[in-house]
Amino acid sequence: MKEFFLSKDSYLKFVENLSCEFSLYAPVQKGDFLFYDKVNKENIDKLFVDLRRTIHPIKSFFIPPQRRVSEYFISSSEKREEKKKVILGVKNCDLNALKILDNVYFGEEFGREYKDPYYMEARKETILISSDCMDPDENCFCTLVQSKPFPEEGFDLNLSNIEEGFIIQVGSEKGEELIEAFRDLFSSVNKDMSKKREKNREKIFKLLEKINKKFKTSSSYRELVRDSYDSSVWKKYSESCVECGGCNQICPTCRCFLLSDKKRGEKYEKYYLWDSCLLAGFARVAGGANPRPYLFQRFANRLFCKFFFFPENINLDACTGCGRCISVCPGKIDMRKVLRDLAIEKRVTVSLEK
Amino acid sequence: MNNPYQPIKTEILQVIQETPQIKTFVLKPENRFEFRAGQFIQLTIPGIGEGPFTPSSSPYKNEKLEVTIMQVGRITSSLHNMKEGDLVGIRGPYGNRYPLERWKNKEILIVGGGVGLAPLRSLFFSLTHYINDYPRIVFCYGAKTPEDIVYKESILDKWQKEFKNKVSFRITVDQGDEKWKGRVGVVTTALEGINEEIKKITESVSVVCGPPIMMKFTTLKLLDLGYKPENIYLSMEKNMSCGIGKCGHCQLGKYLVCRDGPVFTYEKLRDIPQIWD
Ligand code: SF4
Ligand code: SF4
Ligand code: FES
Repeated sequence: MKEFFLSKDSYLKFVENLSCEFSLYAPVQKGDFLFYDKVNKENIDKLFVDLRRTIHPIKSFFIPPQRRVSEYFISSSEKREEKKKVILGVKNCDLNALKILDNVYFGEEFGREYKDPYYMEARKETILISSDCMDPDENCFCTLVQSKPFPEEGFDLNLSNIEEGFIIQVGSEKGEELIEAFRDLFSSVNKDMSKKREKNREKIFKLLEKINKKFKTSSSYRELVRDSYDSSVWKKYSESCVECGGCNQICPTCRCFLLSDKKRGEKYEKYYLWDSCLLAGFARVAGGANPRPYLFQRFANRLFCKFFFFPENINLDACTGCGRCISVCPGKIDMRKVLRDLAIEKRVTVSLEK
Repeated sequence: MNNPYQPIKTEILQVIQETPQIKTFVLKPENRFEFRAGQFIQLTIPGIGEGPFTPSSSPYKNEKLEVTIMQVGRITSSLHNMKEGDLVGIRGPYGNRYPLERWKNKEILIVGGGVGLAPLRSLFFSLTHYINDYPRIVFCYGAKTPEDIVYKESILDKWQKEFKNKVSFRITVDQGDEKWKGRVGVVTTALEGINEEIKKITESVSVVCGPPIMMKFTTLKLLDLGYKPENIYLSMEKNMSCGIGKCGHCQLGKYLVCRDGPVFTYEKLRDIPQIWD
């Protein structure tokens, strides 16, 4: 993989240039959390590109909470021209989530010949500049799902902070083009710089292992969840669930939606709306029968989806370890604890030290 | 690029009242529309919403399409208020079909309950299109009362005459009335003595469609009679939304019903908890 060095000054110029030529989005701090915001003159000096993931998931750039997907029986030709998007400060867990969504929206395994034209268009028109994580929070657990806090693939460009500037890696043709466009901002990387990057990466990896020490189980989450339908753990934890659906909405890999119809003027339109499998009506059929009438079943379903259904279909866990569901849950439910208790119930070794 | 969410403009040509709660809609899509028995379509009621339905007409007639629909909820109620000349939208067809080519030279047992007869009618048209491929077809059907029998004329009379030596019918109602001379009892009772008609039960194929509770008891009965799990074909009802494997609504264990079904053999489903709920 090609890589370049970007000094602190050049980095600022680079971001400024990006914000002029593209619709640029980057993490900013609001309250306790980081959010993606459109970069403008006011916030350009307040970006946090390399701390940790934002709280809202990157999926909203590709599958917004609500979108018109078709018009019938007359169609108008309103077309919005939008600048190409650049998302800066994407994290490895976000990139892993896109892998899942790519499979759902245009992969062979989900829906064969049916591809979602809106998702594909958005993916094509968006440039992803990711970065290594420098400051994970206590809910981050990518290392528990066999991932790492720094990207190795799936990005167009990746930034690694090394005090004097950034090492920037080129991961795709789109990334290459961007480098070419601003060629004079970049210089070459020396051995010292690479060493610094490796040291940082190792340090953050170790930090995550420490944060998650008390949750680590010797069996993988896939093995724990499989055949656990009857576990009492689901009942126990779902007692504090208030069925808000927040964990589904905030989850970067939850992709479930509902199509709904509206009339607008003379036209009829079909919309797509995010949906949540934690909500009672999610699986109910027209006649009223519901395959998951009890909350504990729906609660279990979310983890079954992540660690059983997705692996069975595409051999990937649909959990990236981003920990967003832990951060937002009003019932203070921590899925690491849920999974740890499954392990205890199955008598699998768990490290319980605090 | 092809937009899989775009419905095809479709005119309602005719509305047939089958029972007090069930109507058949004869539809004419603007574009050519082909399907195979077992597959489903998404039917859009303009401005109201969309729902999955299985065509009940013959796949070999593709200028028109029929769907038989029971009034149970918001969408089906609006549909029941529509009349000839009104417009709806359709998308599809989606999902798998009955694997007829694998059933050649086998005895076939069809078991339907209530409005579950709809896809079975389409299947019946397909089977009888190549009637000589199947040594024997037994058609069991159960409805609540004689009034609730769908396609009355066909199933009680026309088909019985037309396929006299090839197909035998066992029609039952849970509750008869003074005019009813046929069987009385739930559909599983019509399966009693089936081994007198079906020579090789272990080789025979059974196809079941109806309300979940009926499918459950029928499946148990069929297993009891000696049917192999891999020869019991079930049409699963789920609340499909996208129909194209994306929205997650039709998930059934590791399967998506819109992609891997709606037709499943019992063998594929037996290990999934709560399949009948
Ligand atoms: S966890 Fe639930 S909402 Fe999320 S993708 Fe799976 S089924 Fe859909
Ligand atoms: S965020 Fe917490 S309370 Fe809300 S649905 Fe999810 S588990 Fe339940
Ligand atoms: S109906 Fe949407 S995934 Fe099957």
